[in-house]
Amino acid sequence: MARKKSSWGKKQRAVVVTGVRTPFVKAFGKFLELDSIDLADIAVKSLLERTDLPHEEIDSIVWGGVILPSLAPNIAREVALDLRLPASVEGMTCTRACASGLQAVTLAAAAIERGEADVVIAGGSDSTSNAPLNLPQKAVHALAPLAFGKATPGDYLGVLSQMMPITDILPKMPKIAERTTGEVMGESAESMARRNEITRQAQDHFAERSHHRAAAAIASGRFDDEVTAVEASGGWVYADNIVRGDTTLEKLSKLRPVFAKDGTVTAGNASPLTDGAAAVLLMSEEKARALGYKPLAAFRSWAYVGVDPADQLLIGPALAMPKALDRAGMELKDMSVVDMHEAFAAQVLSVTKALASKGFAEMRLGRSQPVGEIDEDNFNIYGGSLSIGHPFGATGARMVTTMANELASTGKETALLGICAAGGLGAAAVLEAVD
Amino acid sequence: MSDLLLENQNARKLIKTLGLPIPVPEKLARAKGPYEERPLDDKKVLVCGTGGLQTVLAQILTKAGANPWVVGDTDAVLEPFIGPGEAWARTPHWVQTGDAPEGERIDAIVFDGTGLESPDDLRQVYDFMHPWIRRLNRSGRVVVIGRPAADAKKPARAAARAGLEGFTRSLAKEIGANGTVANSVFVEEGAESRLGPVLRFLLSPRSAFISCQPFHVSKLAKGDEAPDTHVLGGKVALVTGAARGIGEATAELLAAEGAHVVCLDRPADDAPCSKVAQRIGGSVLLVDITDEDAPARIANELKERFGGVDVVVHNAGVTRDKTLGRMKPDAWDMAVDVNLGAVIRITDRLLEDEVLRPGGRIVCLSSVSGIAGNRGQTNYSASKAGIVGFVEALAPRVAKKGITVNAIAPGFIETRLTSAMPVAIREVARRMSAVGQGGKPEDVGQAITFLATPGAVGVTGATVRVCGGALIGA
Repeated sequence: MARKKSSWGKKQRAVVVTGVRTPFVKAFGKFLELDSIDLADIAVKSLLERTDLPHEEIDSIVWGGVILPSLAPNIAREVALDLRLPASVEGMTCTRACASGLQAVTLAAAAIERGEADVVIAGGSDSTSNAPLNLPQKAVHALAPLAFGKATPGDYLGVLSQMMPITDILPKMPKIAERTTGEVMGESAESMARRNEITRQAQDHFAERSHHRAAAAIASGRFDDEVTAVEASGGWVYADNIVRGDTTLEKLSKLRPVFAKDGTVTAGNASPLTDGAAAVLLMSEEKARALGYKPLAAFRSWAYVGVDPADQLLIGPALAMPKALDRAGMELKDMSVVDMHEAFAAQVLSVTKALASKGFAEMRLGRSQPVGEIDEDNFNIYGGSLSIGHPFGATGARMVTTMANELASTGKETALLGICAAGGLGAAAVLEAVD
Repeated sequence: MSDLLLENQNARKLIKTLGLPIPVPEKLARAKGPYEERPLDDKKVLVCGTGGLQTVLAQILTKAGANPWVVGDTDAVLEPFIGPGEAWARTPHWVQTGDAPEGERIDAIVFDGTGLESPDDLRQVYDFMHPWIRRLNRSGRVVVIGRPAADAKKPARAAARAGLEGFTRSLAKEIGANGTVANSVFVEEGAESRLGPVLRFLLSPRSAFISCQPFHVSKLAKGDEAPDTHVLGGKVALVTGAARGIGEATAELLAAEGAHVVCLDRPADDAPCSKVAQRIGGSVLLVDITDEDAPARIANELKERFGGVDVVVHNAGVTRDKTLGRMKPDAWDMAVDVNLGAVIRITDRLLEDEVLRPGGRIVCLSSVSGIAGNRGQTNYSASKAGIVGFVEALAPRVAKKGITVNAIAPGFIETRLTSAMPVAIREVARRMSAVGQGGKPEDVGQAITFLATPGAVGVTGATVRVCGGALIGA
């Protein structure tokens, strides 16, 4: 076998060649029987088919996920094996809550930039429908002698005696709660809405716009190149099924708050539980051109930050986005388009409020001027997680794909991405067009 | 002996149900764990007054996590709070002076009295606080800020400034039953940037048993910006008498802030002292501080093993009580030498040999009964009042090196010492404070720890009482 030429240590530019995703569908729905690995397989397979990429060119797969399959958590490697890629295609799986997809993509870009690899498939997937129900530790410990090794009749009796009371050993319902604070994410969003004075109406208005924009994008065929049809047990799924193009402020305003009696966060202005996967093909610019691909975009910078999860859990992007801009040597006003993950309308509006605030700039960022106001016309122009859905690990890769296509197809120069994540994490990246 | 009125829920209920004329003290809220980023997380703090500190207060309070409610004639008073409010997502609310909306309760009041010019202006404290004072939640806080009277150029201005201290002391006695404490802070012109840590401490549960106290914040000692959390990271602290009681509690608190604590006690207390040191990951130093060579030994040990020391807590102390007429001479000598003589000798040596590093902190233990005078304690009182004079005189001499020197005067604290008191006397002593109960060793430890932090650089030469606002001792 011919030995590949190594680029190790060579400084090279990483470019996005293309991206594709499955439709994003409501959890416990059409993708019920597809777990996180199945969804990843579908996205990567479609990516390979669309690009006709010779399989032996692939160096590795980097995958992001949040609810990892406990028996095979390294999804990336499972994908390579499932798709019968050459055994040399190694794989790793990373997790950074809702920023996992972007994390996978920037890990791939970093590996290419330092010459560790030339061709990497990155992305992410999640299937909330297949979240494992965990047994409480007490039940695990009691059952261990039966599960591992030979159990004696006495062991069985011993297990029974340890199982009382029964409520102690019932599986716990999974919920998206912070491990350190115990706060459910919706409660965090509720408290951010209260503290930043984001009204119910403002949230609903934002959600309405997200749905209308996503519906328009779908209707116009804007996502056609980015979304692959999926054959599920119930038939083919062609498009995202959470988007409600006909929703109105009036309809949204009738929904009841979920997390607090007099609260403002509803099912309508929060992102829904979603199943889906998204994959992005990254290469060194040299390699891409040698193989005859036209790069869509490149990373100018990225940044990850942490804030106290007990304070404002989802404010991270307000710190990460300016940091990524600083690293890119650019200002918000230089950005042609801004795309922010919409976990909750309250969270997006809290972040944009902070970015526009002089006080926030002075005291939190050490800047004398606000980062700036984001122009509505250039902000989440095709909707976002509220309307398209949010399979945790896939969202970052979806955003990179949509924005890379936007730069390549419209002549826009730069795009700023922002993502909030559990644990008080924030992520951001600046994409630039490639000639 | 535990405090029945505080610990026994049945007794508390019974007294309340029967309506007995026994005041049931409020259980004080105390801090858990080390210094936090936001000690005032989600607390509703009423900010009032007409001084020039609004901008400083806005930044301190919002960063500490408080929700400011700002009192004024118009909503223009919100102006300085807008920016910091956005930065920390703590939107300020405006309340009309003299108005307290139905049903609203608050956790703390901060009054800015730095603008007081004449006794007539004192009326402000009445106008601002009168509608709100009965709206304070349990374990609430009142902090009254003014300028030092001694700095006033006009006698009338000095009078107004001094008036704030008396006001605060009396107010503290009125609201103590609720577990609320009130203190005043007199900040020198130009020392405003040093207010932050003082307010974070006084408004937090760390000051649960400090009431009626005036704090002076000065520019005297040199110092830089101080951390909010892990406040003693990388510091070495010496605590004398660390085997038990207040010394033990202090050693634990200092260690929790990141300090390496050298636990010093008499060789006879090897076992308990080592236990404390082991628990907190500190070191042991067994020395009788009254030995002739003790100062040299301590200085050498600290120099050789740790390269110096940053915090010195002179906690070791003894009582040898007898009325003067019955007192043996060695009882006098013992008390005065341990409580005062040794403190001075060790401090001098640490300073002379430059073992105490620049930016160091010295905290001595005085005593409320020492200051106020107590029958049978002439020797003890002489030593403990001596401490007050010592810290006052030493502070300006070491200020240039950034070193501060302060004393803590504990009131009635529930320790081994006080549990041995006769029941009747103990009961009276407990109830003679504004908060109607005794303090805990950790309350004293919290005050010592605060004075040991870099952020307490504005406070030096002071004797701070930790007495829950005791009736005696002014």
